[in-house]
Formats: sequence, C-alpha cells, structure tokens
Amino acid sequence: MASLAQNGDESAFAEIVRRYSPRVFSVASRFFRQRSSVEEAAQEVFLKAFTQLKSFEGRGSMEGWLTRIATNTCLNMLRSAKRRPELTVSDLTEDENKWLDQHVSEVAGVRHSNVEETLIAADLADRVLDVLPPEDQLALLMIDGEDASVKEVAEATGWSESKVKVRAFRARKKLREAMEKLLSHKKHPQIGGAIGNER
Amino acid sequence: MRDEHIIGLLDNTPLGNLSAAQLEVVRTHSQNCLSCERAYQASQLSSALIKERVQTVIEPTPFFQTRVMAALREQQAVESVPAWLRLWRSAGALVSSMAVATVALAALSFVVPSATNEQAATAYSAESVIFDQGNDEQLSYEQVLSTIYAEEDEAK
Repeated sequence: MASLAQNGDESAFAEIVRRYSPRVFSVASRFFRQRSSVEEAAQEVFLKAFTQLKSFEGRGSMEGWLTRIATNTCLNMLRSAKRRPELTVSDLTEDENKWLDQHVSEVAGVRHSNVEETLIAADLADRVLDVLPPEDQLALLMIDGEDASVKEVAEATGWSESKVKVRAFRARKKLREAMEKLLSHKKHPQIGGAIGNER
Repeated sequence: MRDEHIIGLLDNTPLGNLSAAQLEVVRTHSQNCLSCERAYQASQLSSALIKERVQTVIEPTPFFQTRVMAALREQQAVESVPAWLRLWRSAGALVSSMAVATVALAALSFVVPSATNEQAATAYSAESVIFDQGNDEQLSYEQVLSTIYAEEDEAK
C-alpha cells in the first residue's frame, strides 16, 4: 500500500488515511482537546506524510512512522502557541476548585464515573500542564498517563532515552511543585497562589 | 536530612510504577514529615489529573478521509502552477499599483512643475506690470487731492 501511494496512487493513500487516522487522532489528542485543533493537526500530519512518502523505506511500521510525524507536527504547533506563564488559584473555575477540594484527601488513581467530573479534571489538567514546555508535557502524559516506556517515548519523538528520562523527571518535579503551591494557597490564601512562575 | 525524604523518589518514578515496598516507605515517612506529606499529596493529585487528561481521546469522523483527500488535491493544484506565476498571483496587484504610483509621481515631478513655472513667469513679468498699470483701478494723485480738498471745503 505504501509503495502504491509512493507511486502516486491516490486511492492507496486514501486507504492509509482511513486505516491510520485513529492512531494519528490519538496522538493529537495528547496535545489538544478541541476537536477542531485535533482535526487540523491530523490533516497536517497526513499532508506531510504524503510529501515525505518517498523517505519511508518500509524498515519500520507505517504506524510508527506516522506516529513520529504526528508527534513532531503537534509539538511544532504547540510551540507556536503561547504558553501560560503561570496559573493562580483565582484562575480556576468554581468547578475546578471544587474538584481540588474533593480530591485533596483521596488516593491517587481514583476514576470518576461521573462524566462531568472527568471533564472538569481534564480541564484542570490542561491548565496545570500548560505551565510546562510542550516537550515536558508530552513526556509526562505518555509515561505517567499512558504508562508508555521510556523506549516507546524515544521512538515516538526521536529523542534519546536519557533525554526522555530527564524531561519526564523535570516535568514531574515541576508539576508536583506547582500543585503543592496551589494546594498551600487553598489552605492559606494570604501566602500567594501563583504556580509555574519560578522557572 | 534531605536525603531521607521521599521527594526524590516521587519525582523520579511515576506514582503508579512504585513498588509496594516503595509505597510503604513513602506512606510511613509522610506520616512523620510535613513537607513530604505535602509532596506526596501533590504527587497523588498530579497523577490523578494526568490519568484523567489522557482519557480524553477524540475519534476521527467519517468525513475526515474526504477532507484530507480534498486538501491534498488542493495542495497538488497549487504546486502544479509555476513558482513565478504563483508569485505574480500573490504579488501582482501590489507590483502593478506600485508601478502606476511611480509613473504618477514621475509625471507630477517633471511635467506639472514646468507648466506652473511658465504661468508664473507670464503673470509676473516686468512688461505685464508696466503695461497693466493703466488698467488698474487705483485713484490717480490728482483725484486723491481733489477728493481731500472737496471734503475740507464742505466742512467749512
């Protein structure tokens, strides 16, 4: 199928798009939560893939090759977007504050049966993660969120394994510190609740 | 001592990957250390948030394939046009308007000023001043004097 598409067979490329779009969407969903952004990123990935088809030598899997293109495309898109320098308690919505209050004393890893609560948590996660560079966000989401191995992240990004480890460590530390600061401000509002600004 | 704390362990390993023995160490230590208790609590929340975040996966719509193929054809159509033509299409209007503006400026600089100078020379030449003296509507010296004396006579 890849060789047919390399020779300009449009129907073969259409089949590649159909077969691998769930995978590309899954990668793009790590970076974006708006459907329009995910679709835009996925389209960009397939357009790039078509122009780079000649460089696909068939050594690795098509899925792996597309995953790397998708990861790099999304990283570039995210880099060009403006990052939030810090997050304060006052930035949080009432629902997000409520979520934090409810889960402060709960054990990590709890799953919510309530769809609304899951969305609130995902929104809050986005806000908290936004203080990290896109590369750190990716390492953390893949390793801590999807239980991917360091090797898998290295393959998806093209980074060395030591770089992946460093990024994940740094992201985890920064996120923990940010969360500590947010929680301490919720307990003692007079201390000051900006997180992520001590970089 | 900082080395005895469990913060390093929390930052090094995803919470879900800690072994039972490591978790026991973390819990035991956190009960007696306020800073590590806070760090553990923050790590638990961070981990929970990240797990929630990755649950949200957007699926492609049935129209996505059509959309990509349409975008691909559009891209190919753009690429099939020669580069100079694409450049002309995007910048042609600007270049044309600049050329028109340049011509207009040149005309204003060289043609219009010479015509104006000729008119000015004609209007204010010495001959015209001398020959037009008779046509102006100024009162002559005698007329002024007679007007003044006539007013004085009337006053007396």
